[in-house]
Amino acid sequence: MPEYVNVTIDGAKIRANKGTSVIDVALEYGICIPNLCHMKDLNPIGACRLCIVELVEGGRSKVTTSCTLEAKEGMVIFSHSPKIVETRKLIAEMLVAEAPNSRAIQDVAVRCGVTKVRFPFRNKNCVMCGRCVRACTEIWRSQSLGFVGRGKKRHVALPFHERPDFCKRCWYCVDICPMLITPCDGPMEPGNEYLCNKCESQLTMALESPDTCIQCRLGKGFGCPRGVTQE
Amino acid sequence: MEKINIPDTLKSFAQRKKSELEQYETVITVPSGTCCQAAGSLPVLLSLQKAVEKKKLQSKVRIRVSGCQGFCEQEPMVVIEPGGIFYGRVKPEDVKEIVEETVINKNIIDRLLYADPVSGKKVAKEEEIPFYKLQDRTILGENKFIDPCDIGEYIARGGYSAFVKVITTLSPDEVIAEVKTSGIRGRGGAGFPTWKKWEECRNAPGEIKYVICNADEGDPGAYMDRSVLEGNPHAILEGMLIGAFAVGATQGYIYVRNEYPLAVKNSRIATDQARELGLLGKNILGTGFDFDIHISRGGGAFVCGESSALMESVAGKVGEPKPKDVHATERGLFNLPTTLNNVETWANVPLIIKQGGAWFSSKGTEKSTGTKIFALTGKIKNTGLVEVPMGTTLRRIIYDIGGGPQGGAQIKAVQTGGPSGGCLPTLKFELPVDFEALSAAGSMVGSGGMVVMDDHSCMVDVAKYFLTFLQDESCGKCVPCRIGVDRMLEIITDISEGHGTMEQLDLLEEVSEAVAVGSLCGLGKTAPNPVLSTLRYFRHEYEEHIKNKRCSAGVCRELIHYSIDKEKCNGCGLCLKACPHGAVTGKKKKIHVINNELCNKCGICKEQCKFDAVILS
Repeated sequence: MPEYVNVTIDGAKIRANKGTSVIDVALEYGICIPNLCHMKDLNPIGACRLCIVELVEGGRSKVTTSCTLEAKEGMVIFSHSPKIVETRKLIAEMLVAEAPNSRAIQDVAVRCGVTKVRFPFRNKNCVMCGRCVRACTEIWRSQSLGFVGRGKKRHVALPFHERPDFCKRCWYCVDICPMLITPCDGPMEPGNEYLCNKCESQLTMALESPDTCIQCRLGKGFGCPRGVTQE
Repeated sequence: MEKINIPDTLKSFAQRKKSELEQYETVITVPSGTCCQAAGSLPVLLSLQKAVEKKKLQSKVRIRVSGCQGFCEQEPMVVIEPGGIFYGRVKPEDVKEIVEETVINKNIIDRLLYADPVSGKKVAKEEEIPFYKLQDRTILGENKFIDPCDIGEYIARGGYSAFVKVITTLSPDEVIAEVKTSGIRGRGGAGFPTWKKWEECRNAPGEIKYVICNADEGDPGAYMDRSVLEGNPHAILEGMLIGAFAVGATQGYIYVRNEYPLAVKNSRIATDQARELGLLGKNILGTGFDFDIHISRGGGAFVCGESSALMESVAGKVGEPKPKDVHATERGLFNLPTTLNNVETWANVPLIIKQGGAWFSSKGTEKSTGTKIFALTGKIKNTGLVEVPMGTTLRRIIYDIGGGPQGGAQIKAVQTGGPSGGCLPTLKFELPVDFEALSAAGSMVGSGGMVVMDDHSCMVDVAKYFLTFLQDESCGKCVPCRIGVDRMLEIITDISEGHGTMEQLDLLEEVSEAVAVGSLCGLGKTAPNPVLSTLRYFRHEYEEHIKNKRCSAGVCRELIHYSIDKEKCNGCGLCLKACPHGAVTGKKKKIHVINNELCNKCGICKEQCKFDAVILS
């Protein structure tokens, strides 16, 4: 017998399976919480901070990531409160300034309501979401990839920068990397980056933060069933 | 040393040791903490030992090597008991005179006495020194009486009696109730009620539980935890024993920075001695209580002072914070219930048990009880460690105890709580130092660092310094902290170099708020505090940098330039010789000129000039 818990997300009372994370509950129900580092079968690390929500507990609100938060009986959660939307927007803006050359990131940014980037673009190849590292470690038990360095110098690397024998060449790391889909107009030259806003034209409603997913490939990335896929 | 098997034996051990120590007529205390050693206490100690040997006084005079006593300004110092005669800034040459005059002839050497910088009066006795007199040194005061490498001295002063009281007469719930009465809150910075943590951990399911002492003190300008751990390690062991008994833990860890070699050494000696005496290990004092402490050395990351990162590091993994949706009291070290407290919190525990929670809560304010140690540094006369009751005003700490500004400058601000804290202007100096008042003002008590700044400090530069530190020390796991702090630094660098815009200032504020809300751990959540507080109180300085491209404190290198006053310069050539970049040109007895292209703005020429001819603009 599956056990259930009742949670309230954005005012909607939802019965969820015990032990699931809040983001999975919300996405299943059709409340789209933007996310990047979250993958359903991997341990959450709460690194991208896009899926932050407000958890109201005993009259106090606490901001935490919904991927690391386990749904518990009676939880009251707000995923689109003004404070959350504003913070999320700025985080997305910083992310897209870091890596504008990814359609996934551009899409997330537009999804979070970013229309203008106020930071100089940096055009990096990695946003350190850790999907590859965790998939390699947890799904394939290979540990061929890892984080190296601290802070600004943190990067993903192979052990001693050489592909080890225990790498199974499954290329799953490549499959799940959000950086590998280039923007619709093709790769941008360093120094000429821009926010294409193409995804915005596909939005069905002129809301700053729409409640349905964008009809492009990243709509699938959110795992939201209400996002219509278009192939 | 023989193992003590019954609690009562500890009392007779203490008696025996006490009478052993009382044989000596004179006790000379030489504080030799890390800071004292840096100031040169070891040569003083060595010559003191030689002088005592030479005069054949070994049976009458005992030299006690204690931990830091907090008055760092006067180090190396020597305190002679009885009488409590205090000699500051002692040199090895003075030692012979001290032994001959003070120890043998009982005369006070006027030359070596401490002169109060405010009144200029000489003070002979230690307790009369204003710096000490205005404090309430319940924890730090013990350092003076204790040789950290001798457990006997701690026991002779009544050490471990609180633990004996706990284990023989109290139940764990009673211990937690006593701690609750005391109202003590975590001294590490956040101020979480200690009893609550203990109770949560005690009620958490599980057989194996841990207690940890957080001695990973990384704030620039803070060193009180080091001094306590170096000077009185047994107080922490005793506190941890009591805590372990209360929460039901069997294993403890002291996580200490590897950059504190003396603290590592002293805590290792302390645990070894306690184990030898049967105060740690299996069946402690024959009561059937098992507990042991392991010293875990830090790996050199500031972020490891954060509780979840610390536990990862103790477990041998990369020190990165974990999401805290489940408290450490439920799932901490090795995913088992863990109680983590700061050094100072642990050191307070034996005192609370010994003197009662009511005694503790009588000090301080209603919500922040007890005393707190602050590391007072920066541009003031008396730098050092200050222990005052919570709720003491900043003015009292900075002006009365700290002695006010150095050399006629004006104090501008105080930075409390290290990189996570904020800068408070002089207007806020009437603020009582407690957890609530400081957070309401945009700063925090933090671990207790206090850096005083005068009008030679530029607040933009201060914010830049702390951001550089935090960007360097951020683990890089989450986006707001890794990218956000970096972007903030980018904007502040622009401003300090004179090409910032007012829009950037708004963006800086916006990023600061997002980082504070969105970050994963305490490091990121508090990282914007230095920026937000300087923006709140010193916005005009930012605006001056942006609009007028001017740094009135003369700190931001891109905005200042040096020149030579033609009327004052007499061509002595001092600046020419001193300039490391060859930027000063001029012939002897002729007016010199600074070449601004070569100038590195180091300011050495201004320091060297005896005629005030170098102008900073």
